[in-house]
Amino acid sequence: MSKRTTAFLFCALLVSLAQAQNNYSNFAAQSNRINVLAKNYPQFVKVRSLAKTAGGKEIWQITIGTGNVDSKPAILVVGGVEGNLPLSTELAIGFAENILQGTNTDSIKTLLNKTTFYVFPNMSPDAMEQYFAALQYERQGNATVTDEDRDGNSNEDGYDDLDGNKKITWMRIESPVGEYKTHPNDPRVLIKADISKGEKGKYIVVAEGIDNDKDNLFNEDGEGGVSFNKNLSYKHPSFTPGSGEFPVSENETRALLDYLYERYNVYAVISFSSNNNLSTAYTFNPAAVAQTIITGWLQPDTKVNSMVADLYSKTVNMKDAPAANAGGGDFLSWAYYHYGRFSFSTPGWWVPKTKPDTAKNEKAFTVEDATANYLRWASQQGISNTFTDWKAIQHPDFPNQKVEVGGVDPFVLTTPPYSLVPDLVKKHSSFLVKLATYQPEIDLVNLKTEKLAGGLTRITVDVINKGALASHSKLGERSYWVKRINVKVNAMGNQSVISGKKIQLLNALDGYGSQQLSWLIKGSGKVSIEAGSPTTGTKTVDVTL
Amino acid sequence: MKFHIKQIAATVVLAATTLFATAQNADQIFKAAGSPANPKVAISWNHYNDHAGITEIVKKIAAAHPELAKLESIGKSFKGRDIWCLTITDFKKGTPDKKPGMYIDGNIHSNEVQGAEFSLYTAWYLTETFKDTKFIQELLADKVFYIVPTINPDGRDSYFHEPNTGSSPRSGVIPVDNDRDGQIDEDGYDDLDGDNEILIMRRKSSTGRFRVDPSDPRRMIQVGTDEKGEYEILGLEGKDNDGDGQVNEDGYTFEYDPNRDWGWGWQPNYIQNGAYKYPFSLPENRAVMEFVMKHPNIAGAQSYHNAGGMILRGPGDPTDLVTYNAQDVQVYDAIAKKGEELIPGYKYLVVYKDLYSAYGGELDWFYGGRGIYTYSNELWTPYLFFNKDATRDPQDNSSFQFDRYLLFKDAFVDWHEYDHPQYGKIEIGGFKKNFGRAHPGFLLESDAHRNMSFTIYHSFHTPKLTVDTIVEKDLGDGLKEVTAVITNSRIMPTHSSQDLKYKIERPDYITISGAKVVAGMVVENADLNITSEQKTNPETISVNNIPGLSTVKVRWIIQSSGKYTVTVDSKKGGTAVKTK
Repeated sequence: MSKRTTAFLFCALLVSLAQAQNNYSNFAAQSNRINVLAKNYPQFVKVRSLAKTAGGKEIWQITIGTGNVDSKPAILVVGGVEGNLPLSTELAIGFAENILQGTNTDSIKTLLNKTTFYVFPNMSPDAMEQYFAALQYERQGNATVTDEDRDGNSNEDGYDDLDGNKKITWMRIESPVGEYKTHPNDPRVLIKADISKGEKGKYIVVAEGIDNDKDNLFNEDGEGGVSFNKNLSYKHPSFTPGSGEFPVSENETRALLDYLYERYNVYAVISFSSNNNLSTAYTFNPAAVAQTIITGWLQPDTKVNSMVADLYSKTVNMKDAPAANAGGGDFLSWAYYHYGRFSFSTPGWWVPKTKPDTAKNEKAFTVEDATANYLRWASQQGISNTFTDWKAIQHPDFPNQKVEVGGVDPFVLTTPPYSLVPDLVKKHSSFLVKLATYQPEIDLVNLKTEKLAGGLTRITVDVINKGALASHSKLGERSYWVKRINVKVNAMGNQSVISGKKIQLLNALDGYGSQQLSWLIKGSGKVSIEAGSPTTGTKTVDVTL
Repeated sequence: MKFHIKQIAATVVLAATTLFATAQNADQIFKAAGSPANPKVAISWNHYNDHAGITEIVKKIAAAHPELAKLESIGKSFKGRDIWCLTITDFKKGTPDKKPGMYIDGNIHSNEVQGAEFSLYTAWYLTETFKDTKFIQELLADKVFYIVPTINPDGRDSYFHEPNTGSSPRSGVIPVDNDRDGQIDEDGYDDLDGDNEILIMRRKSSTGRFRVDPSDPRRMIQVGTDEKGEYEILGLEGKDNDGDGQVNEDGYTFEYDPNRDWGWGWQPNYIQNGAYKYPFSLPENRAVMEFVMKHPNIAGAQSYHNAGGMILRGPGDPTDLVTYNAQDVQVYDAIAKKGEELIPGYKYLVVYKDLYSAYGGELDWFYGGRGIYTYSNELWTPYLFFNKDATRDPQDNSSFQFDRYLLFKDAFVDWHEYDHPQYGKIEIGGFKKNFGRAHPGFLLESDAHRNMSFTIYHSFHTPKLTVDTIVEKDLGDGLKEVTAVITNSRIMPTHSSQDLKYKIERPDYITISGAKVVAGMVVENADLNITSEQKTNPETISVNNIPGLSTVKVRWIIQSSGKYTVTVDSKKGGTAVKTK
């Protein structure tokens, strides 16, 4: 066999491997898929390791674009913002694969001539491995050793797999002071008793485990660590579990921020996390922006949010997203409030709201509950084995009480069956590509020269933004980590600027916005006017005096 | 020119060293009270030292006193200079990092230089007076000092060696595009007359609002609203280097503020001017943070700034007001009010209220993030000119008087003409950068001593724990009740209330060893026999706090008759042992 044939077969094998993907990728598989991209599309992709986590795992960066990528307006795509959402990494890597498969089309080629994508598929590789581990549980913290309950001991009381099913589910303990009761429409599901309606609880519910350190708290200090999505600087939840000893304490957080603060060309940040301002846009709250430390989006930015959310909803066509509140220390908020960029996040998938199957005699839920809804949806989809039936066990901490282990599996409420992933990747890739067509772009139009007396010329020009997105967020105007639009008149030789500034900095230009500038210039020959910023590109016009 | 200055400096150092080598012998010296006579390391305290000078001094101290001082570099500055830390304690007694620690640093702002000399003086004083001062011997047996003379060596050297004012640079030297035009440091100050000083530019003007003070022609005074002036002030020495119509708007002297870079209440630069990327994004502060995280025994801290004659405590951030509760304020007040007595002219103030709101300051992190009682002293006050309060009266010309009669006009550059490319004929003059915020030479040592005495008082009142008494009671059936009283004989508790609120540091452990323990408990009220039992691991009783000037009682029920030992182990309070 010739070397060339071998290479071809090897490539074909890789392609078929990529296509044969039928489950979420663990870290090794993620790394493999990322490096295959670098090999297959060297002219469009650069892959590098940004940093290593405390657990020794690489934070991969995939840069997609052509030419001098750092000088083109860019979209940032971030997955693994929370380690318990493997879909988020799948969407990010999937987007990279998807767009690169399209590089033989003119539309993608044109797009990559204009736009750079910085993709960080997994900011929580230490935590996400727990999905693939022998013992499965939802984990967000990295491998940094932490003392979550701040008692002087680290990792002394984690989960325990009491029923031996390799998954951490739930325990219910029968108790006259329990807060939980069974769901009226699905007895497998436990919901909080509503005392105000005269209801009485029957169970105490805690995650599966033993009070290993006998401090009357269950599973309060297990393995891991610091959560990326609690470690950022906006409203850092200091001294709460998983947040880190201070904001931006972790290698991966620091490395990402160090890198991003120097990337002035990023105009939009898309992250895949439990937070969501793409299904429902933020609305303007005057009180929240009137404070020194602002806690709401500025009005012009909320309009941009609405526009982008509208694009998202039309593209992915998913309804009834669960409400989400950014909890502080989170990436979505950081990218807006501290990085000063348009920042958007979506979980990428959620359990659709089910309708009762009348054939099965199901009734509409009298109490809305995510788990009950999931179980109904799963059964309609033919998904089984995601619920462990309650089974009594002997529990050392409750020697004389009835303790049962069971409940819904970890991950399933936020992680769709893999068969749904290719379609989700396609829709989200399509959204990102469409978002790039909203890119701010500067132009100089309506150039007018008027000769006044004695070699004096008045130049008038409109600086316009041809894109739908504003050149910068309104908030970004305030931050020196956001570069403003710089307009320069390159007067040379006998030319001098009599009126108007040789260099001036403009504030954000709205989508399809414009600003008129004029100068009085004395002299002759050609003078060039240059306007631009890293998020808008630069445009130059030559003017004959 | 720079090279030249260095050469001269080197010659001076050499000459000075030769001089010290032939210092007087002990017989010729009569000890002045409270100062080391004939010290091993001879240093004169009437000048400033650049980073190379500091390096030499800290090395000399460590070399001369190996049993009292150890030198380490806790990290490197942006430009690769070592950030030196002297650990000062009696290394023959106890484990240094288990003694209650007092952290001292200076010079976080580049131009606020004398904090380094004050810190060095402290290290020098402690090591040189140890041999004949009982108080210092006891102090260094109990406590450990971590002294970092400058946590901003790049900025320090740029202040000395580059043209500057007394107020610049405040920042470190990492370049920042402050005006966001895509160019970095393209229009800073210009030393137009080449004297390594940035002075004031003035110009004769018929519409100017200033005139020359007839009592001292060097001084400019503002004219009254109905008077005609003869000069306008054009600002600090410089020109419009980049042709954007602004002068000195993007220089290296203000890139960021290192004291807005700390991990408690941090806010970005559009809210808190001077913030950099994120907490501890500056390498010098990161080195300090890492050091502090590795030394949970640090219970007190002092950060030296200038100027104004203040002993400051937090909060800097008004939203942190709730953080400082009454017990902690009591500790802060007790120590700082003593400081006001020890350092005449200095006032005890609260940052957010008496100064300004500031987010992400060093003292905020030390207290808010680590629970360490911390002060920032703003060194130097015009009070020290003539030992009376300075006024803000525009007629108050005490700085000119002081310069004239005590410094013999060494602090002022006389007005001289200059042909400015944009302003035309102007005059340049004003106080030199070493005057106004930095101490004049002859006052440096005395104010260093007074400020040191305050930090010593502060460190003295970090917790001191002893196992005071152990009382036994026979319960019959082979059971014995053992009650141990643990005393903290100083003002500070082992955990500040901030520490308790967030459980920053682990509880204190009181352990009995050598006995068979049946049960263990904290005694809440000995007289009424109110106790709370610790069901697990009763040998080691965990107590959240040992308050200042107070006691904690613990009790065990044991089943043995031999000798046993009670040990206290507190991160910030140190350790204590008693055997019975």
